[in-house]
Amino acid sequence: MPEPSLPLRIAVVDDEPLARAVLCEFLAAEANVEVVAQCANGFEAVKAVSELSPDLLLLDVQMPKLDGFEVLDLVGRDVAVVFTTAYDQYALRAFEVHAVDYLLKPVSAERLSEALVRVRERLGRGERAATPGAMAAAKPREGHAHRVLVRDGPRVHVIPVDKIDYVQAQDDYVCFRSEGKDYLKEQTLAEVEASLDPKAFVRIHRSYLLNLTRLVRVDQDERENRVAVLTDGRRLPVSRAGYTRLNSLL
Amino acid sequence: MHPLLARLERLGGYLALWCVIGVFESAVLTRQGLTWPEALVQVLPPLLIYSFVCLSAWYVCRATPLATSGVPRVLTASMVAAWVGAALWLALSEAWLATLESMPQLASITPRFRAQTPFLFIVSVMLYLLVLSVHYVVLAFEAFRTAERQQLELQVLTRDAELRALRAQVDPHFLYNCLNSISALTGSDATAARRMCLLLAEFLRTTLRVSTQQSITMAEELSLAEQFLSIEQVRFGVRLQVERSVDENALDCQVPPLVLQPLIENAIGHGIAGMVEGGTIRLEIARRGDRVAITVENPRDPDAMPRKRGGVGLENVRKRLALVFGGAARLDAAANPTGFRVAIDLPHTVDA
Repeated sequence: MPEPSLPLRIAVVDDEPLARAVLCEFLAAEANVEVVAQCANGFEAVKAVSELSPDLLLLDVQMPKLDGFEVLDLVGRDVAVVFTTAYDQYALRAFEVHAVDYLLKPVSAERLSEALVRVRERLGRGERAATPGAMAAAKPREGHAHRVLVRDGPRVHVIPVDKIDYVQAQDDYVCFRSEGKDYLKEQTLAEVEASLDPKAFVRIHRSYLLNLTRLVRVDQDERENRVAVLTDGRRLPVSRAGYTRLNSLL
Repeated sequence: MHPLLARLERLGGYLALWCVIGVFESAVLTRQGLTWPEALVQVLPPLLIYSFVCLSAWYVCRATPLATSGVPRVLTASMVAAWVGAALWLALSEAWLATLESMPQLASITPRFRAQTPFLFIVSVMLYLLVLSVHYVVLAFEAFRTAERQQLELQVLTRDAELRALRAQVDPHFLYNCLNSISALTGSDATAARRMCLLLAEFLRTTLRVSTQQSITMAEELSLAEQFLSIEQVRFGVRLQVERSVDENALDCQVPPLVLQPLIENAIGHGIAGMVEGGTIRLEIARRGDRVAITVENPRDPDAMPRKRGGVGLENVRKRLALVFGGAARLDAAANPTGFRVAIDLPHTVDA
């Protein structure tokens, strides 16, 4: 007598209707499984995770707007992820970001069942998909990030890196300052620094990463501390090491 | 083997030249009081044998090539060979004169000839050097021709190899996605699944057939692109729309196989596939006098990140056009935030 399996609520994410259809067909034959959402792009997937809290995302990699890795970066703490793709070259990266499994298209019903078994094992141990340390691996492998994604509940803000004024560390979060608004993201400043172009963003202080194009000048205040003056008049502290880094770039 | 000895007519020409030289030498001797018959009979036989001695210059040239031997070495080798050659001539000449002197009725003609021997010895040295330099010229000319031929052969080989390497191949991921679509349709719409199988088989068969050909007609290339579009339309549904403008007068034009299909593939992969709502690909084939223009335009998501594989297919088409047409065809790709436009311009050629 097998144990009753853990019920799974699943969102199927793929931009091709037929690719979603075949997964849904296979899932319909599985016990204790419910497809709670079908999403055609990454934004819909993030929205579905926020509003429906599924246990599992079956996630295509190549999709409009947000690719599968970006979706995982945004929601990986809240949901287990199984990638489905025709491309085998993402497999290594998928496991680095702690995807539970990686299904190659065309997908077989048997392989999908195996993946569900793994998902149940992992959820049974109380683990979610990704851990914060794994998030850096979700960044583009080649070159530097072109944009930063910040999740705000069901919404996703896409911030092009040239629109970022500076990034500030705040406890477990970082705050991206862009066009007069602040965007909070659960990440470390070191991870952000590693993902951005080091010629464009400089760590001027333990807590600040500055977009060089926003810098007007470096002043000294009455207590001999250096202060970076930005194009909008804002003043940010500059540490001794930060000043050295600034000078080497200017 | 010496090139002159290898061919009888060349040897004949060479000996004829030596006869002319002999006549000149005899003419000089007649000025010194010899009669024509006396001069010829004493000059010609040793000279003709000497002409064979001079062929040894070929081996001297080969042993001291101009390109790799220094000037002193070439000069030394030449002078030594010329003096040795001339010494042989002298020996031959003396032997011949002795033969003549053994005949009583001819013995009286040799003294006047012997008086000219030092002069003739110097002439022999000069002749040897002349033959030697002619050999050097011939060798240089042959080396030049060989290099030229090798260069041409190399170009042909390189071109063939490049064309083989660039032969467009079906993207396996396209196949995997197709098979996934077929797998999906099998459960819901068996007729559609069967149709997709047939479309895919037809596309693969045509691709394999034309990819081994040097050129195909524009009509064939267009039909291949249409087959590809029909398959992709099953996958993308309403997200993929196509607008066509095809000039009938351009359809007989010969084009390298698979120049249009990769453009369509790119337009979908880097354009339509990245758009939530999809978009319209514009395909235009136009004849302008003796030129044919192929244009493919597609919209793209302005926020999309540049994809890694972008442009590989395009570069492949560009290289193949350059290999086939040289400068007579061009491919222009233009990108702006909301779209791509690729234009190929090539000569209108019709298969004879």
